[in-house]
Amino acid sequence: MTDTAGLAMEAADLGRRFGRARLSPAWALRGCAFQLPAGRVCAVVGHNGAGKSTLLALAAGLLVPTEGTIRVLGTDPASARARVGFVSQEKPLYPQLTIAETLRMGADLNPDHWDAATGERIVADGDLDPKSRIRALSGGQRTRVALALALAKRPDLLLLDEPMADLDPLARHELMGVLMSQAAQHGTTIVMSSHVVAELEGSCDHLLLIGAGRVRLSGEIDDVLTAHARLSGPAGTPLAPHTVIESRTTGRQLTALVRKSGPLPTDLHPATPSLEELVLGYLRNPGTSVTTTSPSEKAAA
Amino acid sequence: MTAARLPRVVLRLHRTALIVWTLFVLGAVAFLVWLNEVEADRVQAQTTLCRHASTYCANVFASLDYSSPMGWISSVVYYSFWGVAAWAGAALIGRELESGTAQLAWTQGVSPTRWLATKLALPALALTVGGTLFVFVFRWGWSAHRDLMGDDWTFNDVFAARGPALVAWSLCALAVGTLTALLLRRSLPALAVSVSVMVVLNRYMEKHRTDLWPNTPTDRSRHPASHFWPMNLIETGILLTIAALSTTAAFWSLRRRTA
Repeated sequence: MTDTAGLAMEAADLGRRFGRARLSPAWALRGCAFQLPAGRVCAVVGHNGAGKSTLLALAAGLLVPTEGTIRVLGTDPASARARVGFVSQEKPLYPQLTIAETLRMGADLNPDHWDAATGERIVADGDLDPKSRIRALSGGQRTRVALALALAKRPDLLLLDEPMADLDPLARHELMGVLMSQAAQHGTTIVMSSHVVAELEGSCDHLLLIGAGRVRLSGEIDDVLTAHARLSGPAGTPLAPHTVIESRTTGRQLTALVRKSGPLPTDLHPATPSLEELVLGYLRNPGTSVTTTSPSEKAAA
Repeated sequence: MTAARLPRVVLRLHRTALIVWTLFVLGAVAFLVWLNEVEADRVQAQTTLCRHASTYCANVFASLDYSSPMGWISSVVYYSFWGVAAWAGAALIGRELESGTAQLAWTQGVSPTRWLATKLALPALALTVGGTLFVFVFRWGWSAHRDLMGDDWTFNDVFAARGPALVAWSLCALAVGTLTALLLRRSLPALAVSVSVMVVLNRYMEKHRTDLWPNTPTDRSRHPASHFWPMNLIETGILLTIAALSTTAAFWSLRRRTA
């Protein structure tokens, strides 16, 4: 139905369960379906434990799905391994190696597409001595080395799990710039999870909102935002046929976040919500029914 | 596409272990050579002196200077597979899974299967080369001065160290340690379990070694020396079978978990 060649990631009925089937089966992710076009910078947002890390690990081929399928770069995660970069939340690196040895390991393991200059530049920008051992580095410095390793690989798809969590604001800003220029120069698709929504606004153009192991919202950020509206008006105003994501009544005043279906009554002062308002609205109300903007639906809109 | 230089990476990661193993084997071999080429002659001279002495002889136990270190060397090298089991469970695989560094290799374009294959092949090669070298030198040393020794071929360490069983024990320990680490995914529990499994297996095998080959009906208590090779080869076969099964199970459990 869709041009799968242009997709960086595609999930269908994807599910992953941890623990034994009979003894307390815990689904980290279930019934997950979405499509991510290539060349996007996609934000994956959700609560702690919502399934963001599981989704990224499945895409990187580090886990196998319990049910459903996930395809990356038009193939299965195992075959795409050489073209996918991944930095997990823990940023594991070999503590006994030096920074230079760590980068040399990357060169040894990616003989065809290793960009040594990029790796060395990212490390040098952090004033790191290539001869220092990984075990002597701080959390933020380790993040920098992990990102250098992932970026020098020149991946087509870069999966980053909470990449900026332990960086200071300056390093965060600088490395975000490095990521964005990588995306712009090489057309790299970047998928990054975070719970700092402000960090994603402005740099991401695609959104994947995960709640309780399911995709609750997915699509281009601009489309998603315009599909919703922030309303305010007198209490008791009927909001049907729009889907209410969140509503609050203060005295006689009603404020609501709705997903539009049809024209909005002008007396409710409709306004486009900010990304943060939208994400928080969804996160605060996990009960709201699953809404997904698929690319085809978006094209029709 | 150029193949990834994974062996080089694995060697860089485990160079300390390789250096320790090399020094251990070379040290044991050098000690054996010194004992048989230098120490044995001195000890022999002293015991001969004592045999002809008519009065009190201070060197009556001189042969112990030779036989006791000989026994120590074979015992230490034979039981070094405990160390191999501990290392394979904790350092080679367990630590990588516990800290997540294995995933680093798997996302640098190396499939988990290739990663495990390389991680097993290089130590297996080092253990086979080192163990074989020791076995040959020990066979020479052990038979060189039988008159100074009080042991015989049925002693546990001598039995293992004079044939391929010595190498088989270390390969079995490597495979068992790897499987335990893959199942437990934590280094300390993997270390404890793999060493325990190998100690129990070893006690069991040592107890039942005499049953490995049918004895002559006239003498049920002792095996003739000609039974050494069949017994040693059967023990080697059993250990290599356990190693192969453990390795298969290790690959299976890894394949089941990762793409």
